[in-house]
Amino acid sequence: MMLNPSPTDADAVTVAGRDFPTNRGGLCKKGWTAAELLVSPDRVLEPLLRQPDGSFEPASWSDALDLVAAKLRGTRAEHGADAVGVFGGGGLTNEKAYQLGKFTRVALGSSRIDYNGRFCMSSAAAAGNRAFGLDRGLPFRVHDLDTADTILILGSNVAQTMPPFIGHLEGARAAGGLVVVDPRRTATARLTDNGAGMHVQPTPGSDLVLLLGLTHLVIAKKLTDQHYLHARTTGFDAVRRSVNQWWPTRVQEHTGVPVWQLRELARRLAAGAARGQATGNGTYILTGRGVEQHVDGTDTATAAINLSLVLGLVGTTHSGYGTLTGQGNGQGGREHGQKCDQLPGYRKISDPAARAHVAGVWSVDPDSLPGVGLPAVELLGALGEPGGIRCLLVHGSNVVVSAPNANRVRAALKTLDFLVVADFFFSETAVLADVVLPVTQWAEEEGTMTSLEGRVIRRRLAVAAPEGVRSELWIWQELARRLDSASTFSAEAGEVFDELCRASAGGLADYSGLSYELLDSEEPAFWPYPAGSTGTPRLFLDRFAHPDGRAHLVAVQARRLGAPAQVDGTLTLITGRLLEHYQSGTQTRRVRELADAQPEARLQLHPATAEQLGIIDEAWVEVSNDRGTVRCRAQVSTDIRFDTVFLPFHFAGDQRANLLTDDETDPVSGMPEFKKTTVRVRALVEAGAHV
Amino acid sequence: MSEHRNPEHIVLVGYGPVGARFVDELLPLVRQGAATLTVVGAESADAYNRVLIAEYAVGNADRESLDITDPLAAREAGVHLRLGLSVTAILRSRRAVSLSDGTLLRYDRLVLATGARANVPTLDGVTRVRRDRQAPPADAATLDTSGAPLPRGVTVLRDLDDARRVLAAVTAGARIVVLGAGVLGMEIALAAATAGAQACVVYHGEIPMARNLDRGGGSVLAQSARRAGVTMVNHSRAESLLFHQDDDGVDRFDALICADGKQIHGDLLLLSCGVGARTELAQLAALPVSTGILVDENLQSWGDPQVYAIGDCAHVAPAPRAGDSTARPTGGPSGLIGPGWRQADWLAARFTAELLNREAALSLAAATPAVVMLKAEGVDVVSVGNTAADPWDAGLDEHAAGCSGAPVRVAQWADPEAGRYVKMVTRHGILEGFVCVGMPRTAAELTLLFERGSELPADRSVLLRYDGPDYEPSAGSAFALDATICWCNGVTVGAITEAAEAGNATVACIGAATRAGTGCGGCTTRIGDVLEHFRAAESTPG
Repeated sequence: MMLNPSPTDADAVTVAGRDFPTNRGGLCKKGWTAAELLVSPDRVLEPLLRQPDGSFEPASWSDALDLVAAKLRGTRAEHGADAVGVFGGGGLTNEKAYQLGKFTRVALGSSRIDYNGRFCMSSAAAAGNRAFGLDRGLPFRVHDLDTADTILILGSNVAQTMPPFIGHLEGARAAGGLVVVDPRRTATARLTDNGAGMHVQPTPGSDLVLLLGLTHLVIAKKLTDQHYLHARTTGFDAVRRSVNQWWPTRVQEHTGVPVWQLRELARRLAAGAARGQATGNGTYILTGRGVEQHVDGTDTATAAINLSLVLGLVGTTHSGYGTLTGQGNGQGGREHGQKCDQLPGYRKISDPAARAHVAGVWSVDPDSLPGVGLPAVELLGALGEPGGIRCLLVHGSNVVVSAPNANRVRAALKTLDFLVVADFFFSETAVLADVVLPVTQWAEEEGTMTSLEGRVIRRRLAVAAPEGVRSELWIWQELARRLDSASTFSAEAGEVFDELCRASAGGLADYSGLSYELLDSEEPAFWPYPAGSTGTPRLFLDRFAHPDGRAHLVAVQARRLGAPAQVDGTLTLITGRLLEHYQSGTQTRRVRELADAQPEARLQLHPATAEQLGIIDEAWVEVSNDRGTVRCRAQVSTDIRFDTVFLPFHFAGDQRANLLTDDETDPVSGMPEFKKTTVRVRALVEAGAHV
Repeated sequence: MSEHRNPEHIVLVGYGPVGARFVDELLPLVRQGAATLTVVGAESADAYNRVLIAEYAVGNADRESLDITDPLAAREAGVHLRLGLSVTAILRSRRAVSLSDGTLLRYDRLVLATGARANVPTLDGVTRVRRDRQAPPADAATLDTSGAPLPRGVTVLRDLDDARRVLAAVTAGARIVVLGAGVLGMEIALAAATAGAQACVVYHGEIPMARNLDRGGGSVLAQSARRAGVTMVNHSRAESLLFHQDDDGVDRFDALICADGKQIHGDLLLLSCGVGARTELAQLAALPVSTGILVDENLQSWGDPQVYAIGDCAHVAPAPRAGDSTARPTGGPSGLIGPGWRQADWLAARFTAELLNREAALSLAAATPAVVMLKAEGVDVVSVGNTAADPWDAGLDEHAAGCSGAPVRVAQWADPEAGRYVKMVTRHGILEGFVCVGMPRTAAELTLLFERGSELPADRSVLLRYDGPDYEPSAGSAFALDATICWCNGVTVGAITEAAEAGNATVACIGAATRAGTGCGGCTTRIGDVLEHFRAAESTPG
């Protein structure tokens, strides 16, 4: 993406595409309109302090930071270091994600940092680590997909969430090999029309059974790659036994996917893998949040990986498994210490060698580093609790909209002694803050991001930030100084990056061979990129990252079978994105063109269900359960199963989809259940009544 | 392993799929040392998935795909697996079982998962044995055949040896006569025909799967089976067998003779006449038995709280209280794996809770009727529950139920020509039963609706359309004004036409004006088509 200044008006800038393999120079609506964010009248342009009467008054940076530092110091002195919590974001640059982790562990001495990526990539990350010993969204280059014979996409609507990506599906479509698994007939599912492939429409939350059943079929029909399993993996026997209980008719019984479709799909995947060996154009399996955002999301992603492994896809030159990253820096944001159990370079904070290495780079005593903290939902659950968090810093996240069980989160934020929110807009979370710190956004800062294919890319400063707005790097430097912190906190992105590279050296996500100079040369840089190497475009070609060099198949069980009776408007809610919006909508709802196209939440439901409930298109409906109530308009569409309703999660107030979602989490990844929520739907105004 | 002073001794009799599931679920308890578990299994092979035995018998599945448990993991956890042995008696007063090797095994809790054996019908030429009064044989290998082996060329289909016999016939392309048109009989006949053997099903009613299907569903199934190459012989009561002699002088099956005098020749006679619970151990130990070992909602024997039964040998029914009538309890073992696995899971969870002093689970939920699905490639049959009702009986039922009861409603779709048939029987819009033949996607949705107890769409025909060729809605005309052309930027035909009207004549101009085609670029050809279409419309007079 490039910014072009206007020749006539110094402040006016427009966006243009830039040739790049992921998007091939293409941009979607969100990209084209992103310049509007820079000059939005809604920007916060100076620090704001909450007054005793609840209003906000502007303050100078030094006053604001003095206040924050005093509160941090006081909270720590009174309640201990862990009484200060930090909530980060997957949209922060690598430099900020790294520095935020360091700031928390060193300047605050707190273990309690986690981020909104927990709601996004954590299940796939946990599954990838468990299977391969390493987690990089795509362990291959994105354009390797272009020539694939078969691509299976599970639970991702890329045609709307990352539209330029669909160009990479053209090859598989031409070969009739695009398979999309989604309870909705999404724009992505429609790409399978007219002989381009197949849409599989299971009932929500049954993906794990579907994958176990496909794996069973592949094994039972002798479509496995025996040589590969023998040479490159462990654990096949246990997986073989565990999937034998999922024969096709039983899978049909639990998923709603007919047996013929299962068989067809198993055959197609294997045929693609075989073709891959012969011609180099094989089978790729890609997962998205639809299958990962469940309380058994790690096991579901693991089942997708097991299927990929029995087919012999991963770590070859022709096929693969990958997960599609959700946020701007969803990959890099999860590598350098924003996670509660992690140090830079994707190291474990519980590993003494990792602690020693990182402490060395930071010039601190390894014993001074805290241990494992709390994953996001638990961290938010600890707000205001005895022994919990009294003071919270939020960076790059809008938890009031994006976290599950939003009512509880909002109530918990109000119990805090002190809430600091750094954002460029007055988000729904910032409204609750004691101090709001205005920060720079994309085109106003230097930095790096790491894309879904593990490619490190530069973000360059193109326009000056408004007067009064600061970078988080500068804020943390100032706060660390006020807190008399050990180590150093540079405000220069380039210096932070160099330090990040040293801290990551020898880790799984090793950046030590990278520099801004190298990245500025536009040479593609895929991590791991140890010093002296040229990076790793395709991972696992020779060995996996486990000490034994093998991929580990892990047998998983589907234990959450069944669903409540759907009578009197009881339905299963799934949440997700629209083309026009991004995450909590705090940015995109402020772009007129995007807001005009999708100004409000709409509940998508099937005409048969709508008829039963007396709901007509555009009518007001109420969606509720024990946790909350959403009121919005209905969008009646045959693009969804009749037992399922869909609500986008971009909207605020009583249109927040997360008022309804449950904060129960996956025991391995800490991922909440976003994609299988039981709700009751009713018409607010009777259909037929003229209003 | 932590120390537990007096771990309870749990003995499981039977290592079939349900027994194996029980073992797997109990492993954490055994690993903790809170209980010991000894498994006595008559088959010397490790537990395997009997559900797929028909697939195995026609060569569609190999032995490995029948594995459902890891005996090594069980052994490592400390489970004593004693396979190839049978229990010859339950000595309740001594809380022990005697084994076929002469030893005794003490128990605190005894779980019977002895399963069921194939029924052998009364046929002239086949010895019939009453087993319920007989002690099981000392030789575990002849648990079901001792004293009365089946003649050569005659088999049931229950265990691996049976399956191998069938497989040999299928591989040789032999003529296989299947007696009985239940689910297993139909599965094996269809699979054998697909695999190249000649299959003939002989049954005495009018329709196959008469226990599960109504007349319409059964008739459509029979027709589909015929189309798949299976000979269907209905209204035929088998009476006796004809034999010819093998070279070694032993009789071998030659033909089945029916009551009407028909002779049906074949190389192998497969008896598929249902199964009967193996209850003799319980019966000899004076435990109450009906069509299975009678157990209450906690799966405890009516006659002994230390004895439990799960799976195909168990008949779950509320225990009678004093003064209750002595009528035979209704119901019986389902013969399906789903309910058996649920029982195994529940009982293991209950034992775990009790032995670790945790809160015990609630009683096992009353089993809903289990969905029956025919496993055959190309012939889809799913049914469950009450399927006898007729669309035109509804009025009668309404009357019978009085004014308060909701009437049963029946919706039906029959297209025998296309091999399709659906019947949905509902009360309050919720399925009480259904039959679905030849409509796989509809069947899958009906199954979900039935199992959840969900309300059907008021317009039942919505469910039928899933299997129609029009289900993949290709959104009408590609040039409809609201059809999306550029997904990246959400640009419709209408927006492109508008831009064209404003004078943008090329794909590049359209891109600059609307951003269409400036994302992935995959739609530029389609933009060209729209422009073409626009120009054609422009130049058309009128």
